[in-house]
Amino acid sequence: MLIAAVAMFDSRAAFNPSASTAPGDVGSRWYPFWAASIMGVASLIVAYRALTTPQAIEGVFEGSRSLFAVLKIAVPMLVYALLIGGIGFRTTDFTYRILPPFGFYLATALYMGLFAWWIGRYKIWWVAAITVAFPIVIFAVFEIGFRVSLPKSFLYTSGLLPF
Amino acid sequence: MEVFGQLAGGFAVALHPINMAMLFVAVVLGLVIGVLPGLGGTSGVAILLPITVFIAHGSLPGSDATTAIIFLAGIYWGALFGGVITSILFNIPGEPWAVVLLFDGFPLAKRLGKPGLALASSFVSSFLGALVSTILFTFFALPIALKALEFGPAELFAVFALSFATLIGLGAEAPMKSLAMLALGLLLAAIGFDTITGEQRLNFGQISLLSGISFVPVTIGLFGIGEILASAEEQGIGFVENISARLGLRDVLEAVRELRKRLRLVLSNAIIGFFFGVLPGHGATAASFLGYGLARQYSKNKENFGKGEISGIMGPQAAADSAGVASLVPMITLGIPGSPTSAVIMAGLFIWGLQPGPVLFIQHPDFVWGLIASIYLGHLLTFVLCLLAVPLLAMIMRVPYAIITPFIVVISIIGSYSLNNSMLDVFITVVFGVIGYWLRKMKYPLAPLVVALVLGDSTERELRKALIAGHGSPLYFFNSGLSTVLLVLAIVLVLIPLVRSIRARRRGVSPTAGAGSAAAHP
Repeated sequence: MLIAAVAMFDSRAAFNPSASTAPGDVGSRWYPFWAASIMGVASLIVAYRALTTPQAIEGVFEGSRSLFAVLKIAVPMLVYALLIGGIGFRTTDFTYRILPPFGFYLATALYMGLFAWWIGRYKIWWVAAITVAFPIVIFAVFEIGFRVSLPKSFLYTSGLLPF
Repeated sequence: MEVFGQLAGGFAVALHPINMAMLFVAVVLGLVIGVLPGLGGTSGVAILLPITVFIAHGSLPGSDATTAIIFLAGIYWGALFGGVITSILFNIPGEPWAVVLLFDGFPLAKRLGKPGLALASSFVSSFLGALVSTILFTFFALPIALKALEFGPAELFAVFALSFATLIGLGAEAPMKSLAMLALGLLLAAIGFDTITGEQRLNFGQISLLSGISFVPVTIGLFGIGEILASAEEQGIGFVENISARLGLRDVLEAVRELRKRLRLVLSNAIIGFFFGVLPGHGATAASFLGYGLARQYSKNKENFGKGEISGIMGPQAAADSAGVASLVPMITLGIPGSPTSAVIMAGLFIWGLQPGPVLFIQHPDFVWGLIASIYLGHLLTFVLCLLAVPLLAMIMRVPYAIITPFIVVISIIGSYSLNNSMLDVFITVVFGVIGYWLRKMKYPLAPLVVALVLGDSTERELRKALIAGHGSPLYFFNSGLSTVLLVLAIVLVLIPLVRSIRARRRGVSPTAGAGSAAAHP
């Protein structure tokens, strides 16, 4: 079960550190270099064992359904994080934005609503209620209660919305 | 006795209204976290850690760092108790340490029709286990800390090395995987400025990586998001079982009677759990399995195990709760976390501006003794709440998946963002969430990674201070008797799995099976 995955994981684990740590002076580089080497050796041994011991030939995921179940959570989560901050390039001269930041509250509303609608399959007014209620509760607790300032949207910076 | 005076002072701190209020909130939150299958004690503590920054800095009237640690520790106590409720009632463990309760807790509730007794037995034994452990904590903490005050860099490094060695040598997973995770943790901790020379390293020219990768977003990702993804895969199992979750006084009395019959088992398991919990990397989960094994080993009617034997509930619960409490001992006294959860709490101490370790006892006695007193109070509170609120807690399981999952993600993201107001931290959380899920899937242990991440900097600092003091000679470590003993012990611990696998190979068993058998608890 582990074969493909461990090999993949380990090649990443073993390559990454050796690329990053220039074997240099015994000062600040010494410690990470050895940490990386230990990790590389240990993961190679793990990979070797995984490859040499006979194992049941089946996928890492039990069928495509469970992979899909994980992706159903993972992909919206990534999109959600991107929505909050927006996507763009920043060079020293200018900032180029592909997607403007939606801020925490708008993104949360979309995200919670999506789940209620897509995975929960609730009626539309329930979806609407969740979409509105959660950001408001979070606003009350964090922005007012704990005085934590969460990322604001591009509509906030242009003065159109209070969040 | 000096201890009693200190403890009384601690109770005065812990009984302060704001501290009591936060303890109550924390315990309730902990119970809820414990009941929710997608959210464990470690992730609950990690997600709520950023909020404690505001508590520690006085956002609430009268709150300070002591309130913050009482809050964090309270979540842990709640989760220790709460995880078993779903194991017993629904056959779904709410927490990793509640997995053992599936063997006997669920059968007792379902097959023998005594859910109340099963729950009550688990609660009384948890409570007694925690009480024993807290008493040991009270008396052991100060002597250990005073001894630790005399440590120089060599001894400190030896202690760190020993704790890493226990993670490898006594870990539940394959030792090589533990070693790899340990090294990864040290490596991640090394990112950013070097603490001694101030050189930058491993930042690939990125300014944002100069201050290093913060511990909190990484842990929120590894545990919070990682668990969400892992539980997403198990969705659809569902629970159709519907056991009445009522808990009467009769059940409690019966549980106390059963407890009296098993007092020796519970007490000895609690003491073993304590010493197990003090060892780094072995929190409640490993102790609960050990406790089950011991309960079974010394039972007269072994055949009843797995069919609803009460010893099979009380044994592991006493050990698990005891170990949970004990895992704070090395954190407070030496600055070495005894479990992933206490690693997260320790990160909290750093963020609140405290240095975990022996100096705490000198500089902040209120903090330490307030915490210890709150452990007594917290467990009493948890115990009472559990007896009263089981039906309510069982209802939490009905909160639909489509709401709870995104909600946990949202809270995790608030947590990782608000600590440094940084979107980079949010992305770190998301990325480490995926990594954490993958590691879980590949059966890599997360404890060494987290412990190494939180200890990485201090380990390196002490190592290099010792080397500088010894003019680059590693023999410096063997100048003092204590550090020699500790280092030799560390080397022996690392060699244990190696010896075991060589032996297994001689017997003609495959080496991984040999290494794995260490993991296969009964």
